[in-house]
Amino acid sequence: MRTLIKKILLIIIIALNSFTVFAKDNLVTDLSESTVEISSTFSGADILLFGAYDGQKNDDIIVVVSGQKGNIKVDKKEKKFGIWMITESVKFSNVPKYYYIASNRKIEEITNKSEIKKRKLDFNNFELKNNKIDYKNLDKKWYEALKRNMKKKQFWKIEENSIKLNKNTLFRKTLSLPSNVSTGMYDVKILHYRKGNLISQEESKIKIDKTGISANIYNVAQNFSAIYGIIAVIVALFFGWFTNFIFRRI
Amino acid sequence: MYIYLPIAEQPINAFIVLGIGWLVGIIMGMVGIGGGFLLTPLMIFFGIPSPVAVASVANQLVAPSVSGVLSHWKSGNVDFKMGTILLVGGVIGSSIGVLIFNILNAIGQLDLVIKLSYVIFLAIIGSLMFIESLKLIIQTKRGKATRGKLHQHNWLHGLPFKTRFRKSKLYISIILPLIIGIIVGILAALMGIGGGFIIVPAMIYLLGMPTSLVIGTSLFQIIFVAANTTILQASQNQTVDIVLALILLIGSVIGVQIGSKFSNFMKGEHLRLFLSFIILLVGFKLILDLVTIPLDIFSISIIQ
Repeated sequence: MRTLIKKILLIIIIALNSFTVFAKDNLVTDLSESTVEISSTFSGADILLFGAYDGQKNDDIIVVVSGQKGNIKVDKKEKKFGIWMITESVKFSNVPKYYYIASNRKIEEITNKSEIKKRKLDFNNFELKNNKIDYKNLDKKWYEALKRNMKKKQFWKIEENSIKLNKNTLFRKTLSLPSNVSTGMYDVKILHYRKGNLISQEESKIKIDKTGISANIYNVAQNFSAIYGIIAVIVALFFGWFTNFIFRRI
Repeated sequence: MYIYLPIAEQPINAFIVLGIGWLVGIIMGMVGIGGGFLLTPLMIFFGIPSPVAVASVANQLVAPSVSGVLSHWKSGNVDFKMGTILLVGGVIGSSIGVLIFNILNAIGQLDLVIKLSYVIFLAIIGSLMFIESLKLIIQTKRGKATRGKLHQHNWLHGLPFKTRFRKSKLYISIILPLIIGIIVGILAALMGIGGGFIIVPAMIYLLGMPTSLVIGTSLFQIIFVAANTTILQASQNQTVDIVLALILLIGSVIGVQIGSKFSNFMKGEHLRLFLSFIILLVGFKLILDLVTIPLDIFSISIIQ
């Protein structure tokens, strides 16, 4: 499988390579897969992003993958009666549940601060809301805690110096999605910089969806929850009776 | 082999979970109680969210209980009348338990309460079991094993609504088994346990039932309490992971059968001493998690 993918990739790269000769100022990219299916044996996925660009010496490539937005609750624990318990919580909404940034060198060296802010090339420029009215006065530690924990769970990740550029025309990057990734549409943005200015960009999408038995179980549990509960009990009853039946004969 | 759990939304090593279910099943089969109160904390240590662990273990408990009741029924060791009163209490209790579960979940303290209840119960049951079995072992060694009265009469026997339990050779008020059933039901829903480790001593010491009937009868009522908990958790909180429950129950039902064959060759008090060690160990690990300073005092959770 691996070698086959590599072979196909090589052919594509060669094709793209000859293509770029004709298509000046262009950025051409593709993904090895555009859908990721969370089946019952899912344990994370690797997607290969590859592309060709019409580059010059010292050009840069930045890749940003962003998932769907959702609500995240940050809990703070304090020691009370000798036990660590949750004493305060802040709910953030409009939080990207997945955000991944990769580049060929340090982003600060690639472009300026206003561009970083505009394109959201770090984790400090999301338009978040929270349930505390005085957002402006909200202690910074809450956002820092959110950032730290999202990074720890690999939901937010930055890998500078991880994209290898080849002869100013080719690049490739493996996007590793963690096993606990949430479902939805993911945006993949590929940005091509020259001397700090964005000269071309490409966008594609990855669809992450539950499939097979795993998806069916989830759907039944959500939509027909009482029936699901009864089925769960019947399955357990059956197995209880069945083992008794088997072991009585042995 | 990793299997993706559709409700817990994470992959898990199926062989390890199967093995845990099997080992806990063996303990269940040998001692006649337990299962839930070991499985739930073990699943929590494994990274399964507490609400999912509690609900899925309740689901899996149905299987070894059915299997156990069928064996005990064949040997005539089930008091169905007593079991029925206990299960009525149990069903009421588990419904109350799921309600408490929902309230705690809404105020964000569910995780803490589950862990705290475990610490308290594991500590009490573990140390009682440890002392009791150690006493018995010492007494047998000295060769003067004494046997107390079958049961003592106290104020509990003065309660109204008395009825005769022919099988158990008892004439007592139905209020007592009903209340025991309710308490066990609440704990079952809140902690993902069958409650065998509470109901068995309660039946022996409070109701004065013959020891031979206790395990079969308690398993009989656990089936219904666990089933009720499963259906309520599934319909109200969508926390029952049928895949997790299935892996656990396949391991445990096989373990129970093997364990019950083993129990004929080993002395009960040695088994109990061994089990009390495990219980205290699990409890100790839970206490440690609660009192040591967390790596990060902030934690996050994705909410709908």
